[in-house]
Amino acid sequence: MPLTLPSLLRLLQLCSPTLPVGAYAYSQGLEYAVDRGWVRDETSAGEWILGLLNHSVRRLDVPVLARLYRGWQETDAEAVQRWNARLYASREAAELQQEDRHLGTALARLLVDLGLNEATSWRNAPQVCFATLFSLAAVRWEIPLPEAATGYAWAWTENQIIAATRLIPLGQTASQRLLVAAGSAIAAAVVDGLTLADEEIGAAAPGLALAGILHETQYSRLFRS
Amino acid sequence: MPLRATVPTPSKGWQACLTLGFQRQGSRTILGSCLHRGPLQVQRPFYPEGEAVCHVAILHPPGGVVGGDELRFNAALDANSHALITTPAAGKFYRSAGPMAYQTQRLTVAAGAVLEWLPQENIVYAGAKIHAITRVELQGDARFIGWEILCLGRPAAGEIFTTGEYRQNFELWRDGEPLYLEHSRYNGGDPVLAARWGLQNQPVSATLLCAGSPPDGVNIIRAGWEELMALLPATGAGELATVTQLDGVLIGRYLGPSAVRARRLFTLAWEVLRPAILNRPACPSRFWNT
Repeated sequence: MPLTLPSLLRLLQLCSPTLPVGAYAYSQGLEYAVDRGWVRDETSAGEWILGLLNHSVRRLDVPVLARLYRGWQETDAEAVQRWNARLYASREAAELQQEDRHLGTALARLLVDLGLNEATSWRNAPQVCFATLFSLAAVRWEIPLPEAATGYAWAWTENQIIAATRLIPLGQTASQRLLVAAGSAIAAAVVDGLTLADEEIGAAAPGLALAGILHETQYSRLFRS
Repeated sequence: MPLRATVPTPSKGWQACLTLGFQRQGSRTILGSCLHRGPLQVQRPFYPEGEAVCHVAILHPPGGVVGGDELRFNAALDANSHALITTPAAGKFYRSAGPMAYQTQRLTVAAGAVLEWLPQENIVYAGAKIHAITRVELQGDARFIGWEILCLGRPAAGEIFTTGEYRQNFELWRDGEPLYLEHSRYNGGDPVLAARWGLQNQPVSATLLCAGSPPDGVNIIRAGWEELMALLPATGAGELATVTQLDGVLIGRYLGPSAVRARRLFTLAWEVLRPAILNRPACPSRFWNT
């Protein structure tokens, strides 16, 4: 299935930072990492973001997204539930789970408003991941899987770089350099992540998990994770 | 997802398997069945806190795991039984000449039963190749407190885990649904070993899981850990330890230089959780005094 122009436009919409799901409110532990001095400039921001891209996005998010995508394609509700639960249970801190739940339910509401009724039951689901609804939209809007996974990884990366830009802070040019550097990492994460077998899925990141947890009690916070 | 790690080629190491079954008989928990093959054994159960809780220690007489070994441990707790399982010594995984070693632990806990899984740490020597799985399956209102403590390399001997492969799945399920899945993959030389988002060059990474949401458990343990860490001698090594509450599972984490310190912190958490979740004061195992 090649990417048609109408599908490309839907993909751009789905990956836009203006998608009204509230992703800008979350830093995924980056706020703690900056507070602690682990991330303090362009280089260390690149190590954090590109490192996680190559680790957890590649080994966890992308392969699970692919299975959710196939589940929606085959209208296999059981598979969608199973992989959604597996991804949710792999989030290692309360705020990381809350983030997925908030983004996932917000996207479910939006998709219902845009006519995708299959999203209805996910609007109030207690455990839901953003990838679950993202993959539903991708399938129904006829966005091929590699492009959908690329878009998902891009949206994640861009959101992290926006958070880093605000927190460190970084200049606009530095942010753009990071986005360029992320390009090849995203491509590699997608190509490799789509080939992983079921038993190879998963990528614990103890420092990220601890940052996510320690953020819960951080004194001054701009972000919700 | 296969529970038993698949072995691609016939291996020549130890093939050991131990299967324990716990049952409730009146007010007593008994070790009703014990099957073993190869060098994995269990000591005679003991009852340091009355007959309701059956304490057992798993022994691995060879004292360490080498490439090609395949160890399987199964524990099944029947309805309303209560077992505390520990190990008398740290698990040691030696450098492999090539083949992987497998350790698969499957713990099933029926409704009304309680499992406390409090093993000592796994020490993974540089060059070891291990695939370890600890999967806890709870049914109904079964309760679980347990931990896995990993030490990569031998910090005391100055040995850093620069080569080798370590894969570990630590999973907690209830009624077929995953509550928490931690799939670690630490290969010598990988960025995850040094990265700030990864292991931060620390040898010891540990996770404590408690199925349940003890009221205010997170805050009490955080305060207790802060106090204890202030009392312990300073490490100056960026040690991190904290607790979070997910849906239906409390998680404690440690990342730092010392398995002994991880155990001290986790034992303190267990002393808070045991009365809150199990309505019992802590009863430290006699094996932990070493």
